[in-house]
Amino acid sequence: MSNARDYYALLGVLRDASQEEIKRAYYEAARRLHPDTNRAPGETEFFLDIQKAYEVLSNPKRRAEYDQTLPKADTPSLPVNVQVQYSRPNLVRMNEPQLVYVQLDVRPRQQTDKIPAPPLNVCLVLDRSTSMKDAKMDLLKAAAIQVLKSLRPEDIFSVVTFSDRADVVIPASYQVDTKRIESQIRMIQPSGATELYQGLEAGLEQVRRSRDPSRLNHLILLTDGHTYGDEQACLNLAAEAAVQQIGISGMGIGADWNDTFLDELAGRTGNTSQYIARPQDIQRILSEKFNELTRVFSEEVTLDYTPTAGADAAYAFRLQPETGPLKIENPLRLGPILQDTHLSILFEFLVQPAALNTDLLRILEGHLKVAIAARPTPLPPMRLQFSRDVGAEAGTDPPPITIIQALSRLTLYRMQERARNEVQSGNYEGATRSLKNLASHLLAQGHQGLAHTVMLEMENVQRQQAFSSSGEKDIKYGTRALIMTEGM
Amino acid sequence: MIVCTNCQHKNPDGSIFCSECGAQLTGSDLTTQNIRTDQVREILRDDARGARPPVEAAPTVNAWASLHLMESGQILPLTDRNEFTLGRVSEGQPIMPDLDLTPYQAYANGVSRLHAVVKRDSKRIVIMDLGSSNGTYVNGKRLTANVERLLSHGDVIALGKLKIQILVKSP
Repeated sequence: MSNARDYYALLGVLRDASQEEIKRAYYEAARRLHPDTNRAPGETEFFLDIQKAYEVLSNPKRRAEYDQTLPKADTPSLPVNVQVQYSRPNLVRMNEPQLVYVQLDVRPRQQTDKIPAPPLNVCLVLDRSTSMKDAKMDLLKAAAIQVLKSLRPEDIFSVVTFSDRADVVIPASYQVDTKRIESQIRMIQPSGATELYQGLEAGLEQVRRSRDPSRLNHLILLTDGHTYGDEQACLNLAAEAAVQQIGISGMGIGADWNDTFLDELAGRTGNTSQYIARPQDIQRILSEKFNELTRVFSEEVTLDYTPTAGADAAYAFRLQPETGPLKIENPLRLGPILQDTHLSILFEFLVQPAALNTDLLRILEGHLKVAIAARPTPLPPMRLQFSRDVGAEAGTDPPPITIIQALSRLTLYRMQERARNEVQSGNYEGATRSLKNLASHLLAQGHQGLAHTVMLEMENVQRQQAFSSSGEKDIKYGTRALIMTEGM
Repeated sequence: MIVCTNCQHKNPDGSIFCSECGAQLTGSDLTTQNIRTDQVREILRDDARGARPPVEAAPTVNAWASLHLMESGQILPLTDRNEFTLGRVSEGQPIMPDLDLTPYQAYANGVSRLHAVVKRDSKRIVIMDLGSSNGTYVNGKRLTANVERLLSHGDVIALGKLKIQILVKSP
């Protein structure tokens, strides 16, 4: 559909982009594609094209001349469809803060020529510290071998193990001789401590070696322990990976890993962490993850926005895929779209009275960027605006049922978050009350098992002023799983 | 500001669930829109003293459709809004269907808390199962969850085992 010579498309900006936007898009592309940092074939040529595009568009005179040569702007048929729903028809002028919920859905548009899922470039980063010994290690190896066997011929795969140092077990390459690779995986021996940074750095290096914008570049980290002292360095690595469009997913095995940290790490690239309660589940969950990677339509949707004074995004949560809370930052990394699972985000905005001196409040204005690996040129960003009329009276329309349903389940997850925060700040009484409320909702909805866990943790908090580390994760990922399962 | 009736926590205006106890804050938006099934029952009881409401007769004025509960013979008109969720309210849980079927032995008949939705758009009336445990049937055929099914006058819906006939106002 797109003309390779379209400079706007090359830079991924709209036809009416400002000079500032063009400059920013160029810097971003340069950072991503500069020949010094890039070894993937074809990218240098691509970078030269982008440079040419920038030379023309950054000069207003040459840009005007170039615009003359373009065919009349026809609205390009975007491959995604964006839907925005609000919890209320309007905002009300009042002297106290008010809430509005906004649900954003981004769906692949049904097209006659389906965009195929891109080939993978995936690195498995496996914790082989002493704590992984025996059954856990064996099950992990079996899971890795299972994944190896499910690869398609066009996929690039690598394996890195780490303890207090990292080893490249399988360098990034097409996997031709699976028998040999399989025996290499079987030889992994557990020993040493957990130093995540080592593994993450070596794993990212493998992904970068064959990084290619037309592939899905991803790292999957499996660990069962805490890392000490290198958290910030790891987060910095993840932020760098995000710029290069490399995704990071985290999987924690058992009770003794830091879920808050792993969530934050994966969150830097718009992904999330998963909890593997029992080693027997490693294989299933890892296979599901791989299966998900082969169904990716867009590896990442980001939202670049201008915040509105007095209308703050107080909370943002990805309902699907990869259910989990979003870190409020700019740009917002919203997450991936799968071919069969669209992206759905629920925002909570807190609107202050001072912002309401207008008839139409722009709650948020920005651009959505949808990265689709299988397309040669980036999509132009899409303008996105959340806005509501401001009136004297509240509208009478009830909130859309989808928002109520999502919130009814999200409320349980947030009660769990609240209880954890209360324990951390020493408010044990508050935490006990929150857990009690959570348990009664879970019981009423028929989730006896989870309600039971919550009640046990309530006792732990009362007696020991702390959660048990397994119970804490059972509740967090259990309430998260409720958001994923539709219906009742 | 909305004060939670369950725990007295003060939530900002626009809240839908109490941030303290998780109860649904049935703000004025929702309660006025809910059909008070108790009242409907009262009215119908009065009617019943005379004659039972004829099933095939035109449904209540202004309703775009009515639900005829076949077991009890009662008729619930659907007015004002274009979408009604059917289900049952149960103690302390945060989901509030628009139409609470508890008075009609919903629990015993296997109706889920949020069972199905009946919607109207320009000309059609549809029903969609919301992933209920015991399923939704139209004229004996089970629906696929989350897929809309067209309804016409006289169709018999079953939410689990609770049978309801749909009466559509003729245009």
